[in-house]
Order: sequence, then C-alpha cells, then structure tokens
Amino acid sequence: MSPEPTNANGVAPLLDVRGLTAGYGQVQVLQGLNLRVAQGEVAVILGANGAGKTTTMRAISGMIARKGAITFSGDPMAKRSPDEIVRMGIAQVPQGRGTFTDLTVEDNLRAGAFVRKGADIEADIQEWFDVFPRLRERREQKAGSLSGGEQQMLAIARALMSRPKLLLCDEPSLGLAPIITQELFAVLQRLNAERGLSILIVEQNANLALGIAHSVFVLETGAIVASGTAEEISNNDAVRKAYLGY
Amino acid sequence: MGHLLQYVLNGLARGSIYSLIALGLVVIYRGTGHLNFAQGEMALFATFGAWWINDHGVPLWLAIMIAAGGAFVVGGVIEFGLIRPAGKKSPFAVVVITIGLFQAFNSLSGLLFKGAATGLPFGTLFPNKPTDFFRLPGGAIWRYEYVGVLVTVLVITALLFLLFQKTKVGLAMRMVANNPDSAKLAGVPTNKILMLSWALSASIGAIGGCLVAGINANVNLGTMFGVFLLASAAATLGGLDSPLGAVVGGLSLGVIESLVTNYPKSWWGSTYIGADTAIAVAFLIILVVLLVRPSGLFGSTRVERV
Repeated sequence: MSPEPTNANGVAPLLDVRGLTAGYGQVQVLQGLNLRVAQGEVAVILGANGAGKTTTMRAISGMIARKGAITFSGDPMAKRSPDEIVRMGIAQVPQGRGTFTDLTVEDNLRAGAFVRKGADIEADIQEWFDVFPRLRERREQKAGSLSGGEQQMLAIARALMSRPKLLLCDEPSLGLAPIITQELFAVLQRLNAERGLSILIVEQNANLALGIAHSVFVLETGAIVASGTAEEISNNDAVRKAYLGY
Repeated sequence: MGHLLQYVLNGLARGSIYSLIALGLVVIYRGTGHLNFAQGEMALFATFGAWWINDHGVPLWLAIMIAAGGAFVVGGVIEFGLIRPAGKKSPFAVVVITIGLFQAFNSLSGLLFKGAATGLPFGTLFPNKPTDFFRLPGGAIWRYEYVGVLVTVLVITALLFLLFQKTKVGLAMRMVANNPDSAKLAGVPTNKILMLSWALSASIGAIGGCLVAGINANVNLGTMFGVFLLASAAATLGGLDSPLGAVVGGLSLGVIESLVTNYPKSWWGSTYIGADTAIAVAFLIILVVLLVRPSGLFGSTRVERV
C-alpha cells in the first residue's frame, strides 16, 4: 500500500488505517495492518479463520487496545473510546450478531439509536420495518426468539439506527443457510447502491464477498497480503486457489 | 381465617423491606454479575447517617432523603474506586472486596456512632400509635405503619420499573445487563452505567435500612444482618437478574417467615418454634424451588436460537 493520503481518484478515504497493531494480552494478532475504505464503496476483508478479521473490526471500533494511525473522514480516532467512535459515524454488526436477546425487536432498534436524540428515531424505526417487514411482524417479540437470519437483519437494522456513515459487518454469513446469506448480501448491496452507505465487511465466504465488493483486502496472519479491486483479486491466482478453491 | 390474614399482612411489611434490599442486589447483579455482600451493611451505615442527621434536628423524612443521596454518592465511588479496578483483574477479587466492605461498614458504624452496638432509637415516617390501624373483616388489623412501608416499597418499585422501561438510561441499563459488548458498540458508556447501578443500589438500600429501623424503632449493628440474609435469599428465589422476581421473592419470604413463626404457636400453644425456624423453613423452600428452577422464579434462562 502506498502512503499517499488520497485514493487513485484523488478523494480522501472515509476510513484510513495505517500500521494497525492489536491483540489480546501477550498475543499480538495484527502486525501493522493497512487498509482504506473510500466514501460510498463496499470494501471486503477476506481471510481464513484466525487471520485476524474480528480483531481488525474490534480494533477499529475501539473495543480492544490498539496502536497505529486510524482516521475517519480525516479525524484521528485511534485513541477514541467505542461510544465516541459510534458518535463519529461508525457502527458495527459484531460476529454472532450481538442482538440484545432479552429485549424486544423494537427496543433493539431503540438501543441502536442510543447515541441519537430527537423525535425522528421513531420514524427511523418505521423505515427499517419497511425495509425488513419480518421485523415489524415480530416487533413485540424478544430478539432471542428470532431465527438466525432474522437476528442478522435485526442486527443490521440496529446498527443503522445510529445513522452511521460506515457500517462494519463481522462475518454476516456465519451460521446462516446459503439462501439466507444471499438475501442478506442483496440487502447490503441495496443499502450501498440506494443510500450510498459505505460498508466494510469481513468474510470467509469469498464468492459471496467478491460479488458485492468494490475493493478487496486479503488478510493473512495479521497483515494485508494483497489488495485491489474485486476483479483484480478474483484474477489473482494465489488468492483464487486459497479462497475460491479453483 | 382472621389469624391467617393477620399474619400475611404482618409478613408483607417485613417482606417488602426484603424486596427493597433484594432489588438493590438485583440492580448490581444485572449490570456486573456481582453479588454485593456489603449491600446490607452499606444500608446500615446510611441508616445510622439518617439517625445522626435526624438527631441534629432535621425532620426524619428529609434525613432519610439526605442519607439516600449520600449513599448514592458513596455507592458510585465504591464502584469507581474499588470494584472497577479489581473487576478488571479477577471477578473473585470483587467478591472478597464486597465481603471486606461488609466488615468495614459495620465497624465504621460502631466507631462513628456512639451507642450503635446497643442500639439507637429510630423514628418512623408513619403514624404508629397503638390505635393507628385499619380494622379488616374477620378481626385482622392492618397497622398504618405496615401499610405505609408496603406502599413506599411498591412506589419505589414502580419508579424503578419506569426507569428501566421508559427512560433512555433504563434502556442503557438493560442493554448492559443483556449484552455488554453490544451495548458498547451501540455507544453506551458502560462504565458510567455500572457506576450508576451501584449508586442507585446503595440509595435503595439506604431507604430499606431506614424502613427496617423504623419498624424496629431501633437501629443497631446487627439490624441488617438477618435482613440481608433473607433479602439475598429473596433475590435468589426471584432469579438474580429479575427486579420483579426480587419483589415477589421478598414479599413471599416475608409472608412465609410470618406464617411459620406464628402458626405453630397457635396450633400447639408452644412458643418453642420461633423466628429461627422460620428462616430455616424459608431456606428449605428456596432450596426446593432452585432444584426445580435453577434460574429462580423469574430469572432469565437465556434461550437463544442461533
């Protein structure tokens, strides 16, 4: 990765991560990771189990101690706390969905709007109910009683309730049936295309991820080993063998 | 029949106080998963505080409010200064600290308030002349003081319910209780919420302590010990993370205690079976309930579909 502050098209990136290191206790998982997400794009981090995908997401959101330079819309955020980062406009859908299982569907959405004030929160809830009609049907139900796919939709809607500029999705396909996963990625693609939402997804399922990505980063043992457009990465022999199996 | 109603009414008054202390335990447990063993003794200290303020000419109701406010601050400081740093290292350390606080607050009460060991006279907020009671059908009487204690506890419970269900802070408390990681990711400053939980819990405890002292007309170093024992049992019975469970558990234990203490007397004319047996019976019932429902009557069992 080149160190220039702008992308090829001359626009400052929305998220710019440089030399990110992070880990748990004595174990350093991320070894100086660099990546960028441009405004309005879907970026995907591809990586196998244990490559450091979730650690990357948690480090960006401020959930674990980290070192390095991270800027969001040009503002440094490597020293910010999770709640400050949410207020800056980054929302994360954690691995395993992270819904509030004891709260109703509707309260989950309110929970997502925690950093916001004002009367338009209720209007937003209705809007997401329009996008995900299944959630409206189950508004009074506890989130824990929803199916895996419904919970993932709820987790995404909840994250969007904070009106983020960037949505982080940590392995959204995990534990879901293929048909549900396809539906889910179609939703993410629509959110990007229709609303201009910038999205950073980490995925193991390379086929799915490459299908909606504008730019792709390949993560191995805590560092980005290849990056490029979805097309470039799909044509990279080593990546194809490792992640696509042909 | 008249007897039965009488014993139930008497039991509800004491039981409502168990509920209140149990609520304090639940508020902390939900947020952190810690059992605060010092809950009773923190309440005791606040009760002595209220006595001292009242003794200096401040009306009792105001003294209790000031003590509850002071307890709010002390509770928050304890979370910030002791529990939070220790909790980062080991959950067991927190248990030891709350046991230490139990001892510390008891000793401090004895040190600061002269006559605490033998007992100090404590007033009541409610009319309690011998003639202050409702007469109910069947011959039972319901003392104004017992009504007052029960109503006070129910009002506090209702306010807590509103706080949890209808306010943003309450939503944040429920978020932290259910999924602390996701709460953080949604932008909740979880540390502040935990500090608030301890503060709130200490305040609730202070009011509970003052109500116990009011019923006993006395506060001494042993006042809260038995109350805490039954309150923690009530919280366990209700399911440690359920405010409703704490209230139901507390009221049930109060009634059970009253029935077991009084009934054998009228059955056999014996005074041999007394309050000590009541506690044993109460714990026996809890044992049976927990064998059948390990998460308590209203505790969440966390059923999750993946």
